[in-house]
Order: sequence, then C-alpha cells, then structure tokens
Amino acid sequence: MSEQQNYEPRVVAFLCKWCSSAGSDLAGVSRIQYPPNATPITVPCTGAVSPMYILSAFNKGADGVLVSGCHIGDCHYIEGNFLARRKMQLIMQLLEFIGVEPNRFRMSWVSAAEGAKFAQVITDFVDDLKPLGPQEKLKKADRI
Amino acid sequence: MINIKDIRDTARDMLAKGEVRTVIGYRRGSRGMPAEPAFITSPEQADELIWDPTCYHNLSLYLVHDRKISAHLQKNSGLPIAIVAKGCDARSIVVLMQEHYFKREDVYIIGVSCEGTGVLDERKLASHLNGVQPTLAAFDGDDYVFTTAEGEKRLPAREVMADRCLECRIPFPKEHNLVFGDDKTGRQLAEPFAALTKFEEQGNSERWDIWSHHFDRCMRCFACRSVCPMCYCDECVVDSITFPVTQQTSAAEKADRVRWIERSAMRSENITYLMTRAMHLAGRCTDCGECDRACPVNIPIRMLNNKMEREAREKFGYEPGASIGGPSLVASFLDNDPGDFIR
Repeated sequence: MSEQQNYEPRVVAFLCKWCSSAGSDLAGVSRIQYPPNATPITVPCTGAVSPMYILSAFNKGADGVLVSGCHIGDCHYIEGNFLARRKMQLIMQLLEFIGVEPNRFRMSWVSAAEGAKFAQVITDFVDDLKPLGPQEKLKKADRI
Repeated sequence: MINIKDIRDTARDMLAKGEVRTVIGYRRGSRGMPAEPAFITSPEQADELIWDPTCYHNLSLYLVHDRKISAHLQKNSGLPIAIVAKGCDARSIVVLMQEHYFKREDVYIIGVSCEGTGVLDERKLASHLNGVQPTLAAFDGDDYVFTTAEGEKRLPAREVMADRCLECRIPFPKEHNLVFGDDKTGRQLAEPFAALTKFEEQGNSERWDIWSHHFDRCMRCFACRSVCPMCYCDECVVDSITFPVTQQTSAAEKADRVRWIERSAMRSENITYLMTRAMHLAGRCTDCGECDRACPVNIPIRMLNNKMEREAREKFGYEPGASIGGPSLVASFLDNDPGDFIR
C-alpha cells in the first residue's frame, strides 16, 4: 500500500516552443505549484511530433505522454496543430485499441498566457496516472 | 464471370505490339493449387496467365520493385508495365501514384472485378478439407470448385473467402485502363469492419491480453513489410542501414545514434514495430490483406490497419486510394476535425 502511495508517475511532455513551453515558463515565473513529474521536451510545433516519439517515450519507460501546443488558429506555422490533431487522434485510438489505458496519453492546448492552465493540466494528468501504476506494457524489458 | 482467354489475348496483343514492357499477372504455381506472380515478357508466354480464387497476391508490389531497380540502375524504364489488378490492388496503385511513386502513364491497369466471390483464404479452406490437398481451384458462380485427389469438391465462396473480401466495400478496380468482369460494388457479404467491431466489443484488459499474446509471437521476419506495396521506404525505421560507419566513427557515435526500435524480437519492440507500421500505413493501406496472409505466426496485422482505416473513415471522412490527385490523410486536415479529446 505504502509503495503505491510513493509511486510517482513519469510524464514525458512534448511542448510546443511557441505556446505551451512559454506557458510552462509562465507557470514557473508565477510560482504556481504543480507536480514535478513531467519531463518537458520542447519541440518546434506539435505538428512536428511524430507518433514515433510517443511510442518511443512509452518504450523507454514513460508512464504517461503529454502533447501540448497552441490553440487551434494560433499556430505559429499556421496549420501545424491542425495536422497534429489528426495524427494524435490516430495514435491515441491505436494505443487504446491494443489495450493501453486511455489515460496514459493526453493532448492539450496551452497558450503562452495560460500558466495556470498548464499547472492544472499537469496536476490532472499526474492525478489520473497515479491509480494506473507503472506502465509496463510498452516498456522495454531490462537486459535479459 | 471472367474469361481468362480475354486476359491472355490482351496480354499477348500488347506485348506483340510493343505497347508494354512486361505484363504482371498470375500463373500456375509450383506447389499445387496456389497461383504465383508471373512476369510475362513475350507474347508466347501469355498463355501461362491464369485467374482463379488463389490469385490473392497484391501485384502492385512489383511496380514498386521495378521502380527501385530502375532507380538503382539510373535509367529510365521506358515502356509502361501492364498489371492485373483486383479492386484492392488497383487502390494500392492509386495510392502509389498519389504519392508520386510513379506516373499514371507508367502503368497499364488490366482490372479484374472480384464480382461476388473475392479470393480464397487458405487457412479457412484447410479446416474444410480435412487434410486433403487440393490441386486446383476455380470460380463457378458463387462457389469455388476444388479439384482434389478424392474428386471435385464444391464449397460456397463465402465460407472460405478471405475476411477482407467478405468485408470489401468496393470489389471493383475503379482506376483501370481495361476491366474484365462486372462491377458488383454494393454487394456486401459482411458488414465492413465486422471482425474489428466484434473484437472491439471486448474490454481494455481483454484486448491487451489478446494483443500481448500476439505481440509475443512476432519473430520479426518482416514478411509483412516485404509483402506490402506501401512499405517502400529505402530505409526502414527498424534497420538503420544507412548509418555510415567509417574508420572515423567513434564507439560513442555508434552507441548514441537514435535507435527507435531494437531489432531483437522482444514484446515491447514488436509492439513498437507493428504500431509504427500501422501508423505509417494509416490512410494508405487499402486492405489487400497481404500482411495477414504472409505472417507465419498468424498475427492479425490487418486488424491494426483496419482500425486506422475505420478511424480515418469515421472521424475524417477519408477513403484511401479514392483518387490520384486527392490529399493524403496525415498531410491534410479539415477545420472541423474532431478535437474534443484535447483538454
């Protein structure tokens, strides 16, 4: 029981350079408290997030993967997040299809002005991940 | 009903006139009943061509091979290639042209309609024949007739037909230069995605139990990749063959290069491989079912592709292989694509 309480999920967060990354910055500058479980990886645009990144993150032991970018219409590259929305929908459905818990993958729109929302997204995600326990399904086995 | 004589005459005619370089079709195989791909280059060989329920191969794969060979030899191939294509094969060819793999004038599509019958699933047939080896299969109306050592055996086609043919929505090659057989679009022997829908009714953990069992069996023979006309990348993500190793390459560089997927056949790596493949085929797979057939350990790979196909169809109204000039699934978008999963 105590082990479960101590479990801290590891989240890999792919944040778009122009919005969500700046949003996470704002959350920090504003001194908003949120769980330190997320490892941020800044990408130029959510449209640049290949489904391979997500599979690879799970493969290397992530308990949850977050993809976060600009709101629809605000993309720095005009249409990157539209493309991301399609791709992420597909990979999300595929993960769910083979039986990965739906809560392990999440996508959000967080603008550069939404520090509080970013903190909320991470908090919610970590709260949802905790009951699921460690992700073992796609994780690479230790050396045999 | 397709008369094989028509296909042979067409092939002979075109080769004699020098209109095409090769005719890719089917001929009698060397191990009994199953047909095998044939490359007919002279008019005399045209009589080898056949059309029967074992013509399940997707021959558009060989158009890709031809393209790769001529790229390697750095010479223009000149005359077009004629190819015998079923509905699903013709859609594969359309996807390849949509991706500018070759031009429309490089290929002459001899369409064959599957009519009411589709092609055979040998695994299903085996359970009907109780170990008897058939030597010949033939279409006859809505039945297949098998010649065996114990005489003729007639089976209704829908009992031994491949699942994808039962579920096929368009058993007719829409894109063609010439077509044989009647357009039976709309004949629907089973609901589209019937097998998938049935599988999806199970809960999350049941699905995982089944899939993990399948993923465990994958031995990474890459038969699914070899047989797929859409898997034409020069360098596949699973084997980085073009990583240049020279004398100057340090051990650290070798160790640090990105390996998305390990080559060892472990469950986690198999999942990553098969899932990546499904993602790469999203909106491109035309459900020819070759990966399923080629898999030596019976992994239902087609179901992963089917899932992607259905998502694309239901969520984005996308139909793979619909038109040569159309947009591709992941390089296009609509303003009203569903986005309610995004927080």
